[in-house]
Amino acid sequence: MERNEQLINPWDKLPSSNEEREKIWAKNRSFTGDVWFRFSHKPTALAGLIMIVFMLLFAFVGPYFTPYDYSEQVLELANIGPILSVSEAPTEGNYLYITHNMKVIEVDSSGKLIRQLKRRQDDAENSVTYFKYDDDGGMVRLDYSEKPTAILDADGNRLSADKRLWNRSYLLGTDNLGRDILTRLMFGTRISLLVALVAAAVNMLIGILYGSISGYIGGNTDSVMMRIVDIINTIPLTLYVILIQVFLGSGLQSIIIALSSVYWVDMARVVRGQVLSSKQQEFVMAARTIGSSSNFILLRHLVPNAMGPILVTVTMLIPSAIFMEAFMSFIGIGISPPMASLGTMCNDATQALRTSPYQLLMPAIVICLIMFAFNFVGDGLRDALDPKLRK
Amino acid sequence: MRKFLIKRIFMMLFTLLLITLFTFILMHSVPGGPFTSERQVTKAVQAALDEKYHLNDPLWKQFLDYLRNLLRFDLGPSYKYAGKSVNDFIANGFPYSARVGLITLIFVLLTSIPMGIFAALKNGKWQDMLLMSIATLGVTIPSFVIASGLMYVFAYRLNWVPTFGVDSWKGYILPMIALGGYSLSFIARLMRSSLLEVMGQDYIRTARAKGISETRIILKHALRNALIPVITILGPTIANLLTGSFVIEKIFAIPGMGSYFVDSVTQRDYTTIMGITVFYAALLLSMIFLVDIFYCLIDPRIKYE
Repeated sequence: MERNEQLINPWDKLPSSNEEREKIWAKNRSFTGDVWFRFSHKPTALAGLIMIVFMLLFAFVGPYFTPYDYSEQVLELANIGPILSVSEAPTEGNYLYITHNMKVIEVDSSGKLIRQLKRRQDDAENSVTYFKYDDDGGMVRLDYSEKPTAILDADGNRLSADKRLWNRSYLLGTDNLGRDILTRLMFGTRISLLVALVAAAVNMLIGILYGSISGYIGGNTDSVMMRIVDIINTIPLTLYVILIQVFLGSGLQSIIIALSSVYWVDMARVVRGQVLSSKQQEFVMAARTIGSSSNFILLRHLVPNAMGPILVTVTMLIPSAIFMEAFMSFIGIGISPPMASLGTMCNDATQALRTSPYQLLMPAIVICLIMFAFNFVGDGLRDALDPKLRK
Repeated sequence: MRKFLIKRIFMMLFTLLLITLFTFILMHSVPGGPFTSERQVTKAVQAALDEKYHLNDPLWKQFLDYLRNLLRFDLGPSYKYAGKSVNDFIANGFPYSARVGLITLIFVLLTSIPMGIFAALKNGKWQDMLLMSIATLGVTIPSFVIASGLMYVFAYRLNWVPTFGVDSWKGYILPMIALGGYSLSFIARLMRSSLLEVMGQDYIRTARAKGISETRIILKHALRNALIPVITILGPTIANLLTGSFVIEKIFAIPGMGSYFVDSVTQRDYTTIMGITVFYAALLLSMIFLVDIFYCLIDPRIKYE
């Protein structure tokens, strides 16, 4: 730069002796830098990445900040939604919330659940239930003669439950066993991500090994190995996974084993194709000429060259693994209770769907977000690694 | 052509045999026999059961017996429901599953292909963006979530359709949408990209230059080639619809084969699991086979290898 400043006019010709005549002023960018540049300039891809980071934080750090445990049941507080419709309580500033199975819960003005009122007596004739309110013998009457049920005030008028409060004790409500949905969501996300990441890693390993061996050796070995892949490919993987799951019994480990043992097929195909095309190239011949061993050529030259498509396949594999885990948990052969998974949460929610749809909504949203995030990242990665493929 | 057919049929049978062997081995190596349950059975009963179902025979003999019965389309008795055979389950459930599957397939094809064509013609405009966003949603949301959501809105809230069962035609609507959602979105996206690719080719420009109307170009010239990728994935799509029905039938309480399968899985009814798996596999393989033949017939460029 100093020399440049010495010139009077920066647009003047440089003398032929000047060293900077041939200098490339643009910054040198490595392949990784190039990929990152293209990736980070695609808004959806970046959004997907940020979403994944958030999910990871939510799943692995979140549980430290919640006062509840995924299996802690409070049966009295089951099926309470995130938004409470409440009516006024005798105490100034407090409110009463009526649950679906006609229990009365006292809520303070900020939305914290204080206690459940004790049932004293039932007046079936007038369809009124008495609840003990305070120690002085104060009662609260619940009228269930017509829907919706309502609290009666001192004069016997029905109080309308038109005030809405956020549930501050359980931010996303509770499920049908009175477990905190937010906490279970964290653990469910953790299970889903764990299953997906481990399955993806194992599949990547098997797929790379199988595909690269098949592609590198070629000939009859290749045809036999690929015939096996063809056969596996004709059967829907759902059936396989279910069978393996039946064989191994439910649980986290068996899900991971079941998913890892079948999903490598796509990966093997991709790697084989890549190895097959790049093993003809000059750099492999050069490596062979200087006496590199087959192992060395495979691991140091061929596999790294196929890394782009491998990464894309992995990011596309993760959503399908998550989907399969949720699917299996949903039909009841996945994660065993009381552990939460997004699939089991959806399954639990279908039982109370009519009254508490929020129980389905929360895990469904999380599943969709995860799927979106990984799909976006996969798309972005594909475009970034190979701009020619972009449509 | 004949050689190709024979080779494909042979491959199909071989694959089916492998699947049968695999499921057989898996189901017979589950720890504890099929009658191990919480309820203890006496030794004599156990021996009688083993005798009745030939469980004392060596494994290879059991497998050969199974194969022999399979050739006569006899999938054996259910271990959990006395007096019921796996054939009964399939005979009861398959008509429902087939009906739901067929309706869904027709629905998917009739909506996704026009959707894809429309999106391709409006490439880059808001209609395209809207349709493709919906399609992306359809690919990412699991079918059971779509099913439960639809059920809540249309059956519970709006009361437009029954919540379960397929007694009236209305009962088929929600299962159809939930089951077909993924395939619909997928095919629509595929159709769009393949039509866009075809529309950019030289022979379309030639047709335009000759002054052929746009509708005719699309229907007569572009669509023929653009449909080929769609036909290729028809096989996987059928597979998807069949296996997707496990969950859908459970949610909508359709007494189809999928719900029998899920029940047998949760109850560990090994012969039923095995029988239905083999049946599914056979069904799928023949569907894929049919699609392959169809594929070769409509595209003369494809060689019979």
